[in-house]
Amino acid sequence: MSASLMAREKPDWSRLVGDSLKQHGVWHTHDKLLEARQVYPNDLALRGYTEIVRNTIVRQFLEHPKGMQAVPKLSADFLTNFDRFNLNAQEGYLVSLIDGRLDVQKLIILSPFDQFNTIFILAKLQHERAITVPS
Amino acid sequence: MSFARSLLDRLPSCIAVVSETGAIRYRNAAFEQVFGSDAEQWLKEAARAVAGERGWLQGFFLEDDEQLTIDVEIEGRIYRIDRIMIVDGDDGPGVGLSFEDVTTQREAEQAKSDFTAQIVHDLRGPLSGIQGTLEFVLSQEGTKIDSLYSDLLQEAQRESERMMSLINEILDFSKIQSGSFSVEKEPVRIAGVLKRAVRSLQSVAGRDEVFLLSAHGRDIPQIIGSVEKLTQAVINLISNSLKFTPKKGLISVGAQIVRNGDVPEAIVVTVTDTGMGIKAEELEKIFEKYKQSGTKSLRGGGGTGLGLYIVKQIVEAHGGEVSVASVEGVGTSMVLRLPVKRAA
Repeated sequence: MSASLMAREKPDWSRLVGDSLKQHGVWHTHDKLLEARQVYPNDLALRGYTEIVRNTIVRQFLEHPKGMQAVPKLSADFLTNFDRFNLNAQEGYLVSLIDGRLDVQKLIILSPFDQFNTIFILAKLQHERAITVPS
Repeated sequence: MSFARSLLDRLPSCIAVVSETGAIRYRNAAFEQVFGSDAEQWLKEAARAVAGERGWLQGFFLEDDEQLTIDVEIEGRIYRIDRIMIVDGDDGPGVGLSFEDVTTQREAEQAKSDFTAQIVHDLRGPLSGIQGTLEFVLSQEGTKIDSLYSDLLQEAQRESERMMSLINEILDFSKIQSGSFSVEKEPVRIAGVLKRAVRSLQSVAGRDEVFLLSAHGRDIPQIIGSVEKLTQAVINLISNSLKFTPKKGLISVGAQIVRNGDVPEAIVVTVTDTGMGIKAEELEKIFEKYKQSGTKSLRGGGGTGLGLYIVKQIVEAHGGEVSVASVEGVGTSMVLRLPVKRAA
């Protein structure tokens, strides 16, 4: 089967995403979906599956006992080895706002990005251990 | 040939073969009986270009891949005209047409639509009054409403909102069915549409303890369409998500730009929840009318099964398309693709 023909067949995203979430977790699934979008740029449902996984990531972040009142802090690892973290412009901007006093709610207000993406970036920073969110 | 003509003459339907200029090459007995000798005159009028546009008859000659159907008023009656086939004869191309008098059917549809619109209007008035009263009573902080009464009033408010939503869906459906559902052509800021939709349901989400978050920037390009109908589509989607998203769940409302090189080609709007998800076998039918997910609403009460059908009609009226993604137990995302049309 040629590569172009394979690209035209529509995978069963619902099953693939469900299985991947169970076996590999949200971040791995998220990265794989972004890769899949390069192969299937016109697959509208695929965008939806990416959003489902992004939603799950943000909800997990908000499951913190303090929710929106949780206060993110820069991690010791980030403070000593910040050049190890390959942050993009959005992540870098948000990191610059984190002072160990502002809670998630206030960071959303100060952030130039929308509410959802601000929390998503915070979740990504936490996943990469650039920040911690103590209980 | 004589057998075929004899067969056509015995059919109750009016059938004729007509040239591009409206000249009648063949007519069966039913056609002759209904239209008589006047037919050639109005067929020639139908073929004539009016103000630079082609007449309806010529449309049947131009698009030869699909069967075409058109409703045409002829001498005070409405006829549904179907193209049966294109005939390539010795004297040039012709088209075989069947004519069916649908005047009574259309009048009945219009009467039904008018009746529905009147009933809906009559129901909306008092319901608005009930909603306003409940909102006023519940907003009176400081007054001692017993917590039992407060819960009951909130329940009444929730149910009145649901009833209003059902009434609006019936009205929209009635408009779609009667063909009076049209989309205005005005510049639409999608960011504004999403903001308005989120704002209108923020208090409902707060009451249901569901996070409702915006997930779009401000730099979304304008499209041409109807602010009101697109807002309604997004509200329908958020309302639907609210029915199936548990407490502490999350609904995000986003928009992304699809580019062709540097040029914005379309806007993709997503309404995504962390609800119970939809079974894979139900996904394809979810936008059909009267179809409801087998998943039971968390907040009681069913709907009309028209909400997503109306969303699809609105999006398609904007030249767009709809899609759905869902993972059982994880969530659902409704995806709308709206083309960015530029002014000519």
